[in-house]
Amino acid sequence: MAKSPEELAKERLARIEAAINLQEPDKVPLWGVGGDIVAAYAGITQYEFCYDYDKAVKAIEKFMRDFPFDTSMAGLMGLEGRIFCVAFSEFPDISPALSLITGPMHDVLGDKYYRYPGRELDENATPQFLGGTFMEPDEYDELIEDPVGFVAGTILPRACTNLDTPRKAMATWVRLGMECSKFFSAAGEIGRVSAELGYPPFPMGWGYSPLDIIGDFLRGVGTVVLDIYRYPDKVKKAAEALTEPITNYALYHKYMGARYAMIPLHLNEYLSPKLYNEFYWPYLKTVILKLYEEGIKPLVFFEGHHDAHLDTILELPEGWGIAYFEKTDVVKAKKVLQGHSCVMGGIPMGLLVGGTPMKIEEYIKNLLEEVKPGGGFILAPGVGTAPSETPVENMHALIEAVEKYGYY
Amino acid sequence: MQEELFNKIVNMDEEGSIKLAKEYLDRGGKPQELLEVCRRAMDAIGEKFEKGEYFLSELLLGGEIFKSIMEFVLPLLEESETTKLGTIVLGTVKDDIHSIGKDIFKAFAQAAGFEVIDLGVDVPEEKFVEAVREHKPDIVGMSCLITAGISSMKRTREALRASGLEDIKIIIGGGRVDESVKQFVGADAWSDDAARGVRICKELLGVEG
Ligand code: B12
Repeated sequence: MAKSPEELAKERLARIEAAINLQEPDKVPLWGVGGDIVAAYAGITQYEFCYDYDKAVKAIEKFMRDFPFDTSMAGLMGLEGRIFCVAFSEFPDISPALSLITGPMHDVLGDKYYRYPGRELDENATPQFLGGTFMEPDEYDELIEDPVGFVAGTILPRACTNLDTPRKAMATWVRLGMECSKFFSAAGEIGRVSAELGYPPFPMGWGYSPLDIIGDFLRGVGTVVLDIYRYPDKVKKAAEALTEPITNYALYHKYMGARYAMIPLHLNEYLSPKLYNEFYWPYLKTVILKLYEEGIKPLVFFEGHHDAHLDTILELPEGWGIAYFEKTDVVKAKKVLQGHSCVMGGIPMGLLVGGTPMKIEEYIKNLLEEVKPGGGFILAPGVGTAPSETPVENMHALIEAVEKYGYY
Repeated sequence: MQEELFNKIVNMDEEGSIKLAKEYLDRGGKPQELLEVCRRAMDAIGEKFEKGEYFLSELLLGGEIFKSIMEFVLPLLEESETTKLGTIVLGTVKDDIHSIGKDIFKAFAQAAGFEVIDLGVDVPEEKFVEAVREHKPDIVGMSCLITAGISSMKRTREALRASGLEDIKIIIGGGRVDESVKQFVGADAWSDDAARGVRICKELLGVEG
């Protein structure tokens, strides 16, 4: 007997919320997969997916229909735009809107941060975030003094050719606004389709870790790590200075109805516990706690290996949000965080791409045996972006395996 | 002085170790010996990383210190004075622009005595094939951090095969590799840890690790 979309959505939401609230749901929730596969499955190029919202929405709909995960992670393509969010952090209506920079927005900005298919890249390539070095070490003082002013006035004109003179900038901001409104109308369409297909509303905002702003957009990821050794005090003060604009930006999502906030981390894996606890965690923790206090549960994506820093999560209040792991062993993480944090992750993307349905079934069976007891667990791919050639039968096998072994 | 330099490098004293290395040469120390000290220090850093005492931050800075010292030591060394274990053609595969891990592996491979031909990032299959023809390396190293890179590696493997470069040993590394990826690609070995990767490269060539 087929369930109505409303029933399905209610059931899925209850399942996910139970896990987040550290309880046992009816079945282990299965987080969705997105990425290049969405366009590939619909038979369109990555370029079309990035630049033609009508085609993209249809591709997403097809994917959502055929791969019924508990959440849909098939969305419009965009890359990290947090530097723009910092620049606009005094404006609650604009700052959150720039969290993701799409292909058309990239064209408008003429920036050096991104490369898009059909532009700098082949039509079937994955969009690329390049980051880079846009600030010299002797500029830390300016960043510390006035982070928002420095980013808006000095960094953005350097990083975006269409912002390099005030006159060009006027036109660019207007054009960007127009692109944003197209993007949000397409996103709204996806929301409507998701509801029709029985996906629960899962209003998700964003946050970021202050030191990652410096790594991703100002100094370069590798360079900021070296800066920590070379100019420790400046790096620390700069991360501290960025904490307020980032927190404000994250909190603005409340006005958009967000109940969760995704915070992807980049530098966590690089740092020794000593450096992590000194330069990274205090500022990230502030952002997390502020969100939590305002009723938004953070979904922190601990990229890479987070093993060395697992214990620090216990400093957060019980039930603070969701700890999403990429390469950290979730079995181990769950032992450490049981009864304290909802743990998410567990499926290596390599298995989904290179494995077979049989291997996947066996893997899921074994994994669930370990992590199911006690609830508080969401099964998710270690990274949510599946490449074009991900075998369709493997994704079906994943969904079926959870159907078979996921019930409590 | 050698011991002091070794300690300075292993303890991440960037300024101090570069200064001391220069002083060592100024006082008539042999560049060959300096290279040896740096190699031992890099070994020790790699070991600490494998043991979990050191993290990527230390690998990154260690690689940077090594690079800085080599900039003034290498020109002083005669070709014959550097013992070469073998040659590695290295690159981050097509569609992937992550360079940090590849560069760390490169620094450690060089420190161990490999000559490394670095093709950069987003390297297409043809460029690997070309470089293998030109440099006749013992090993091809591919770095891969994004899932889309997994099929790039497979295609590179096939391109090498199609060009009759069947026998070349292939090692893959980077955040997206594991045993199942190794099998999918048809590589000879994998490692997501630079120090272990270097050890495996030595093993592939039958040099003690
Ligand atoms: C830093 C980083 C970046 C930097 C890269 C800077 C640079 N110049 O390298 C920036 C910000 C530019 C970036 C961009 C992007 N990134 Co990125 N990035 C990362 C991050 C946070 C760390 C990667 C890293 O440097 N790790 C540290 C290094 C030292 O580790 P490593 O490479 O594994 O190397 C070690 C070993 O593997 C080994 N090794 C490395 N190479 C080799 C080679 C051989 C032969 C051997 C033997 C050993 C070896 O030695 C090293 C030391 O031990 C990861 C998340 C994570 N923590 O893994 C995401 C991640 C890799 N990025 C990701 C993505 C999606 C992107 C982007 C597409 C866009 C985006 N959403 O941000 C773009 C563009 C990428 C592209 N098309 O190539 C995804 C990949 C997802 C996927 N499965 O495809 C990840 C996993 C993040 C995520 N979870 O979503 N990224």
